[in-house]
This record gives sequence, structure tokens and C-alpha cells, in this order.
Amino acid sequence: MSSILTYIAISDGKIKRSSLEVLSRSKAIADAQGLSCEAVIIDQIASSYTDSVQKYGASKIYTVEDPIFDQHRNTPLLSALSKVMETAQPKVVAFASTEGTKDILGALAANKTAGVVADVSSFDVSSSGVTAKRPVMAAKVVGNVEVSGNPILVSVRSGSYDLVESPTTAEVVSIGFTMSRDELKAKLREIISATGDTIDLNEAESIVAAGRGVKDGEAKNLISELASVLNAGIGASRALTEAGVYDPSLQIGQTGKVVSPQLYIAIGISGAIQHVAGMANSKVIVAINKDPDAPIFEVADYGIVGDLYKVLPPFIEELKKIKG
Amino acid sequence: MVPDVAAPFQIKEGELIMDADRMVLNAYDASAVEEALVLKEKHGGEVEVVCIGPAKASETIRKALAMGADKGIHISTSGDEGFDSASYASILSSFFGDKEFDILSLGKQSQDTDSGLTGSMVAEKLNLPYATNAVGLEIEGNNLVVKRQGDSGQEMIELPTPCAVTCSNDMNEPRIPNLKGIMASKRKPIDVVELSSLGISEEDLSPASKVISYEQKPARQAGKKFEGEADEIAREVAQLLDTEANVI
Ligand SMILES: Cc1cc2nc3c(=O)[nH]c(=O)nc-3n(C[C@H](O)[C@H](O)[C@H](O)COP(=O)(O)OP(=O)(O)OC[C@H]3O[C@@H](n4cnc5c(N)ncnc54)[C@H](O)[C@@H]3O)c2cc1C
Ligand SMILES: Nc1ncnc2c1ncn2[C@@H]1O[C@H](COP(=O)(O)O)[C@@H](O)[C@H]1O
Repeated sequence: MSSILTYIAISDGKIKRSSLEVLSRSKAIADAQGLSCEAVIIDQIASSYTDSVQKYGASKIYTVEDPIFDQHRNTPLLSALSKVMETAQPKVVAFASTEGTKDILGALAANKTAGVVADVSSFDVSSSGVTAKRPVMAAKVVGNVEVSGNPILVSVRSGSYDLVESPTTAEVVSIGFTMSRDELKAKLREIISATGDTIDLNEAESIVAAGRGVKDGEAKNLISELASVLNAGIGASRALTEAGVYDPSLQIGQTGKVVSPQLYIAIGISGAIQHVAGMANSKVIVAINKDPDAPIFEVADYGIVGDLYKVLPPFIEELKKIKG
Repeated sequence: MVPDVAAPFQIKEGELIMDADRMVLNAYDASAVEEALVLKEKHGGEVEVVCIGPAKASETIRKALAMGADKGIHISTSGDEGFDSASYASILSSFFGDKEFDILSLGKQSQDTDSGLTGSMVAEKLNLPYATNAVGLEIEGNNLVVKRQGDSGQEMIELPTPCAVTCSNDMNEPRIPNLKGIMASKRKPIDVVELSSLGISEEDLSPASKVISYEQKPARQAGKKFEGEADEIAREVAQLLDTEANVI
């Protein structure tokens, strides 16, 4: 039986929720199309994640374990995926669209002469290939795409699908793989990480996002306080990541991350199309901006026209009361 | 070279029609050119730019020449081929297959499609070590040291040359060509290369992924706007987030 294979991304010792979203979708497609739903985990301790993965319906799980996978490195990841695909012979390989995936998707497609479509907001499999919707033109337009090829690779934006459990007992197939660091032409020297305990924006239920209006320490403190009251992740516009006010990993938008939390609070952000491209799929959007004509109000469910220095303190206080 | 995403457009019967046929230098490629010029200023060498496309691609090349690139190469196509990233990657890898270079620098994605595939495709086809989503480049001896934005941190990666890299616009602020640069660009050479001379025809490049139609993204409704006394409206919205929106 031909299969749909989902790549399970692991980061900082955790399965990325977005890859389980994709697995949930793959399982639904597999059931509808009579395909087998399979998954692949590539990590230094890949086999320890199989229990969580079989909960989402993968009936076969390929694991590749090697110390080289302690950090993201494109060369070993590519070879491992390529090797698993030789064994699994999938019709479709589905990925969550992380920076790690973006780094290798094109190369894997070239290596396998596979069809490929990146960063879709939905996809389906038919006898002739994959159909998908993907936002284009800074997410103002949706393109309906048809992809042919054998296999076909597809990467999916986080938040596009809900998690659906579908417990199975999976057959685990371990694929032998070794690669030494000395073999690698590209050497990973070091990783400069932001503070270790920040909330992953792709998984955050709520996000508090700061823009150029957040000018000083006082405003930054208000942002942190609001985020902590709501247990929210902190994001930022390019204006602030560029100025070094927030870590570049927190940038939301076309160049940065695409997010879709339940609640997105944009503070001192004008709402340029490239920023909106990264947050327009949030469920509820709140904007706080002193300019009543700021474009961010066109996408906000609740728009507060006012100075953030005056609005945030009572806003935070009221939320604290509600949270009790 | 991409359509200007900020320019007005319409969607008619599934077709995307730009009101003005205005093509601009892709922002991510502008950053790639800028960084190449900075590296050249520090370390010497030459900056060449390659653009695939119909006749008007030469305007995009001129823009890069006006910024300071030394030479342009225009790989000429008919313009209505509907290429995807794989098609461009095939052309670029055929072109670069027998060329000597130290660094092959691309944009991390096209501003209009956000595909982000071409760079790593070319690297794989040419068997080059590569890094994507670069936010900083340095040359150290024979190595290119790339700072790339990963999922949760920045990865410092050392690549031996020749290598490939794709650039984020978070790397720099591309210079705006001045008059002198624009005048100088007119005297700089642009070589025109026909696809046939690379041994490829447009039919060979028929894309595996095709956009069959476009639709307007369902616009978000602008919701309620609250104006007035900061203290009052702040508390009111906080309440509504709890009682109406149910997100607290
Ligand atoms: C190819 C490309 C990709 C890009 N990718 C991204 C991306 O990924 N993410 C991104 O964010 N941008 C991106 N940009 C940049 C984008 O176009 C904007 O420049 C950027 O989003 C502006 O950030 P901002 O809204 O914080 O700043 P501004 O546009 O300067 O807006 C600041 C806002 O703060 C308000 N304000 C100021 N003071 C106060 C106050 N005291 N109280 C309340 N409100 C106040 C002002 O009224 C204003 O509306 C990209 C651009 C390009 C060309
Ligand atoms: N017509 C073209 N000519 C030259 N380079 C191109 C062309 N199209 C795409 N590229 C390169 O590929 C990158 C974009 O890849 P993608 O997002 O896959 O379309 C660009 O930033 C360029 O570096």
C-alpha cells in the first residue's frame, strides 16, 4: 500500500506541535484515500518519541538515531530523510513548515526529483498528486496549486490543522545511520540562543506583540507584564527585532514567523502587509495604537485607539482581576 | 525580479491581474546584492548578478549594477512560461555548472510567492555546502561564516568555498543607488545568455507545481474600535476579551 509519510520535528527535546498537526491531517487523508499513515523521527533519541507519535495514528514509524542530530544540520538531515524515503517509498511526504524544514525542503526535492510545494495552509492528496492552497502576495491572495510528481513533498504552516488523536500501535522501524562531524563540509560552530525559556510562538495560545511604539524600558516592562498575566509568548515587529530591542527569533511576519494563536495583541504596530502576513490567521486580534488610521485596525477585532503607556496599565490590571 | 506586492491588483475569474506591470528587485535579492558589495569592499573580488526572465529582466539587473555590482548576466526566457522554483533551479544549476565562483548567493524566498525553495535546490544540484536564511555573512580565510536564523536561535555555520547561501532581508539595509551609480551602471556589461546555449528548452522546464487559480483571501472584518478615556476603554476591552471573545 502506498503511504503518506509525516516528518516529526523535534526541537529542544520536544515534538513540535505543528508536526503533530500535520500528522493529524495526514491520518485523515490516509483514511480517506486508502493510504498508509507513516511517520519519521530523526533525532539523537528518536525512539523515545514513538509513543507520542502513535497516538496520532501513525501505523509505522521510522526512527533514525545518531548523535549528529543533537542540533539542526542540513547535510545529515537530508541524507537521513533520503535514506528513509528509499525504504518507505512514500507517495507524499508532509512536513510542518519550520525553519529546519525550510532549510532542506528544496534540496530534498532536487535530490529525489520530487514534486514540492512549500508553506501551504491546506492540502489534499488525489490520484494525480497533491492539491494545496497557499498564501501569496504577502498573504493577500490564496493560490490554488496542483503538484505532480512521485513522490511529492509538502510543508504546512503551523496552526493550519487541529490536533486529532487516533491511537494506534505502530510498527517501529529503525533505520541505521551514522555520520561523523568531521565528514561534514558545513560546520556548525555555535548556536546563539535567546533566553532558553521563551514560549514557542508557533505553539503559543496567546501572543503579545510589540512594535516601534514600544520605545523604552518602561514599555518593554509593560509588554512583559501583560505577557506574564496572559501566559503569552512575546513577539515583535521587524522594526524592533532590527533595532535589537527583541531577539530576531521573535519576529512575526513575512520574513519572520507565521503564527495563529487564539489571541494576538498588537501593541504599537502599524500593520504593514508584511507584518499582517504573519498574524492575520490569529483567532482574535487586539490592536493598541495611538493612530486611529493605522492599518492594523482593519484586521483587529478589538481596536483600542490610545497611547500604550496609558492603555496598558489599566488593561493589565483589569486582566489580573479577571484571572483572579 | 518579482511583481510589486504593494501594487494594486485584481482577481478576475481566478486570474491574478496586476494593475500595472511593474516588476521590482526582490527584497531578499536586494539584501543578497548589498551583502555581496559589503564583502567585496572588505575583501576584494567581483560581484556578478544573474537574472532569468524576459526582456524587462535587464531593468532589474541594471538596478543591481547601479547599486555597485560589476557585471550582469541575463538568461533570457519568453516570459509566459509559468516556471516554478524547480525550473529556475534547473536553469541556474545548468548555468553555474561549469563556472568558477566562491559564493553563490540567493534570496531566501521570492517576495510574491514566498516559496523559498530555489536556493537549496541549486545547492543540491551543484553539490555545494549551503546555508539558508542568512542574517549575517563574514569571510574568514577560505570560509564563509554564515549566521542563520533557525527556529529558536541563530546558528553560526562555517562553509568552505565554493558554497551557496540564501539571504534574509534582516541582514542589512540595501543601499539606494545614487546618480553616480546609475550613470556608471549604463556602462557596465550585461551578457545575454539564451536557454538553448545551456542545452535546455522551455518545454523541458514544465513546472511540476502549477497555480491553477487565485482567490481573494477572505478579508478579516474590522471589528470594534474603542476611542476615548484610556482607562475606560482598556478595562472595557479586557472585559470583552473574557465575556465576549472567550480568550482569557
Ligand atoms: C520583504 C519584506 C519583509 C518584511 N517582513 C517583515 C516581518 O516579517 N515582520 C514585520 O513586522 N515587518 C516586516 N517587514 C517590515 C514592514 O514592512 C514594516 O516596516 C514593519 O512591520 C513596521 O514595524 P512597526 O509596525 O513596529 O513600525 P511602524 O510602522 O513604525 O509603526 C509603529 C506604530 O506604533 C504606533 N505608536 C507609536 N507610539 C505609540 C504609543 N505610544 N502608543 C501606541 N501606539 C504607538 C504608531 O502610531 C505606528 O502605527 C518586511 C518588509 C519587507 C519589504
Ligand atoms: N528569475 C530568476 N532569476 C534569478 N534568480 C532567481 C529567479 N527566480 C528565483 N531566483 C532565486 O531564487 C530565490 C527565490 O526562490 P523561491 O522563493 O524558491 O522562488 C530568489 O531570491 C533568487 O535568488
